[in-house]
Amino acid sequence: MTRILTRAGLILLAALIGAYILLPILIILPMSVSESAFLTFPPQGFTWQWFEELKLDPTWLEAATASLRVAALSAILSVVLGTLAALALVRGRFPFRGPVLMVLLAPLIVPYVIIGLAVYIAFLEIGLTETTLGFVLVHTCLGVPYVMINVCAGLVAVDRRLEMASMNLGAGPVSTFFRITLPAILPNMLAGALFAFITSWDEVVVAIFMSGPTLTTLPVKMWAGIRVQIDPTLAAISSLALLVIVGCFLIIGLGRLVQRLLARRSVSSDSTGV
Amino acid sequence: MSLTKSVSTGRSVRPRARSSRLRAYLRVDGWGLLILPLLVFLVVIFVVPLGMLIAKSFTDPTVGLDNYREIFAESLYLKILTNTFVIALSVTAVTLLLAYPYAYLMTIATPMWRTVLLLLVLVPFWTSVLVRSFALVLLLRDTGVLNTIAQDVGLISEPFPIMRSMKGVIFGMVQVALPFAVLPMYATMRNIDTRLTKAAQGLGDRPSGAFWRVFVPLSMPGVAAGLLLTFIQALGYYITPAMLGGPKNTMIGELIVQQVSTVLQFGFAAALAVLLLGTTFVLLAIAGRFMNLERMLMGRS
Amino acid sequence: MRTKAISLVSTAALVLSVAACGGGEDSDSLTVTMWGGQAQDAHVKSYFTPWGKQADVSIRQDSPTDYAKLDAQVKSGKVSWGLAEVEPNYAKSACDAGKLEKLPERVIEAAQKAEIDPAQMNDCAIPILQYTFSIAYNTDTFGDAHPTTWAEFFDTEAFPGKRGFWKYVTGGIFEAALLADGVAPEDLYPLDLDRAFKKLDTIKDDIVWYDTGDQQVQLVASGEAPLVQAWNGRITQAAKAGEPVANEYGENLISYDQIVTPKGYDNVELAQDWMVWFLENPEAQADDVVASGYGPASPQAVDLVPEDIRPDVAGGAAVNDQSAALIDYNYWAEHYDEVTKRFNTWIAQ
Repeated sequence: MTRILTRAGLILLAALIGAYILLPILIILPMSVSESAFLTFPPQGFTWQWFEELKLDPTWLEAATASLRVAALSAILSVVLGTLAALALVRGRFPFRGPVLMVLLAPLIVPYVIIGLAVYIAFLEIGLTETTLGFVLVHTCLGVPYVMINVCAGLVAVDRRLEMASMNLGAGPVSTFFRITLPAILPNMLAGALFAFITSWDEVVVAIFMSGPTLTTLPVKMWAGIRVQIDPTLAAISSLALLVIVGCFLIIGLGRLVQRLLARRSVSSDSTGV
Repeated sequence: MSLTKSVSTGRSVRPRARSSRLRAYLRVDGWGLLILPLLVFLVVIFVVPLGMLIAKSFTDPTVGLDNYREIFAESLYLKILTNTFVIALSVTAVTLLLAYPYAYLMTIATPMWRTVLLLLVLVPFWTSVLVRSFALVLLLRDTGVLNTIAQDVGLISEPFPIMRSMKGVIFGMVQVALPFAVLPMYATMRNIDTRLTKAAQGLGDRPSGAFWRVFVPLSMPGVAAGLLLTFIQALGYYITPAMLGGPKNTMIGELIVQQVSTVLQFGFAAALAVLLLGTTFVLLAIAGRFMNLERMLMGRS
Repeated sequence: MRTKAISLVSTAALVLSVAACGGGEDSDSLTVTMWGGQAQDAHVKSYFTPWGKQADVSIRQDSPTDYAKLDAQVKSGKVSWGLAEVEPNYAKSACDAGKLEKLPERVIEAAQKAEIDPAQMNDCAIPILQYTFSIAYNTDTFGDAHPTTWAEFFDTEAFPGKRGFWKYVTGGIFEAALLADGVAPEDLYPLDLDRAFKKLDTIKDDIVWYDTGDQQVQLVASGEAPLVQAWNGRITQAAKAGEPVANEYGENLISYDQIVTPKGYDNVELAQDWMVWFLENPEAQADDVVASGYGPASPQAVDLVPEDIRPDVAGGAAVNDQSAALIDYNYWAEHYDEVTKRFNTWIAQ
């Protein structure tokens, strides 16, 4: 009985949280097709003009591609460096753990405007501003703590006996790592990669420093006009981004569904079976 | 690895001399070396430029501790710093309360619903902070959607002020903080062997007891990770609080941006950042006394 | 055989990409940075693109103007911005500090011919647009019975409701407070801050602070703050779009933005060529007025603007005649930091 109650309570809570999270979306989507040039609610009229403006202006697509590129590369680099660091933190021994930990966590704590300014001044000297490399380097700094913290939490829970068993059966430490440990911490790595990707994709403060006519990211372009005027083009972009992401997940989900259906079919029709 | 080493060299356990204690402290093993890539990377790209800017806090506009003296002379800065921590703590507390049951539900849900829950909690990420903040303003203001609906339905007779207060700030910030708490918690929870809780029940414990005594402690690393991420993140926010809060909810990030972008006092801005950094580390150290964060996070004491 | 094909293809790709890079390198380029968004689009289309076509210069845009970036560029010697739209108090202090290129004779002469207000110029900057801080009111709440002076704006008994102010010291807050308290416009500067803060204290609990152009429109259009000290251009555009808002120009406070060249920009001559062209072409300025809603730098452009929008043009007779004062940015260049500090403390209490 209590089991059903708790379950019902949990579902209700999750539903409320879901509604809470979706509230802004329910405003952004209608805003992006509203005729009013001012962000108002309820929306007035219906028009695709804001989406068309996006299509007509090539700089939006350029900015989006740049953001995607930077975010993807930052996420990859963050995962590599962050996972290595997590392994060292959880399993390794090295001196000065305290200070090292402070350095590793510092990018989370130091305000982005300070990081942006400091790195901008330094990168200006060596010509890394407005470059993908420069962007990736600084965004990796911002994203790597997320990977580290997530992978650490996962490593702690890994059953060492599995690794010992693997080594007893003859696999070397590297092979054991790739076959036993890595798959176990993969969800944590992915979670970390996701955070690193999103941190970079959404990041505006440091990006304002690093951007310029040669290379601008999407958040900077969106942010650029806010002082004077925001128009529903921004709502249109947000709606687009949302729809693209949801679409991707739907496609992945559908793919898996199809896979499962096909697998079931082949098992039932295949007389020899597996 | 160290266990096998001492066995092979045949060293007996005896009180160590000073130099060998130092050597033991400085010992680095294979796994430990893996810290180097990230450490070197961060030092070059992050620490060095930051150090140069922090040096400015001692030299710009005048050489010496003037910037720091000014921070402590004016009560404004300490007040805003305290505000910042209070807001961050409140946001973290609310987020934790919501995130834990949400993550737990994700573990017992069917795969399809799990994905739905996951996507749902990630939604704030897919919308830019700017547009989301504006949408929240339209929602929360006195003449906004929520108030209008509540009045139409008869729930309240006059607008309930949410904006320009702590409530609005928390409403806005928890949305973004949720994924940072939910994901690490979920990632850890799904690895918890459910047979352990069943075993506890088999040994006579009630289901709720088994939950609190077995499941929750095992989920702690995820909770710690989530707490840490949420709190530290929240410290740096200023855009959402600026749009949804009032002047009394100003966070230190806003002041620092002001010093950098409009007043152009880089040295003072760096000093404020040092203040934030220092206070955060001190707080973490204090928390470490009570909670042994490193053990929670990384399984070591 | 396969490797040969691969190397052929890759060489071809390499050649093509190099060729693609090579296009358009023979014309000069000028990088312009302003405040961004649709306003910047309007400005660039009105008075940068036409010049660029004429002078065979490609215009590159950046936004928003960031003073920290500008400082860093000048200090390192690697300046990428040729022209930057800035606030006049920054222009004054940066000019005095040697961070900006000084205007050459030909630009100053062109400015005189264009009848630019000398008060809106300094050694390194020419004005690029004007606007004014007006009393914006919600037409549903107030209609014709709305405040027409700052004294009435500060009167929450006669005109109940919240008041909106820009959370920025150069936003005309203190000037409005002093005028409301009875200070004569000629005696405004240097600002008597004690008196201004005391006046502001009388309505402090009713003040709502905004940061951006859109926030102010939202506040007054929704009625949440039915009276706002606003940037007139935004309100005009909102009214045109059907929002229930209007400008009251009584005692308005004229303000302006300037355009500068950071020191060390390698194509300074080019930037100054543009300045001369800009000053000599009031038609381009008039186009910008229509497109962006801001007032022109040169009064000559006002007559070229369609009659129906002339009443709302800052810099035109309709607005200027009712104006109480021009914001004194020389004062602000000197006092920006200290007033900001005092304002931060006051606002947090």
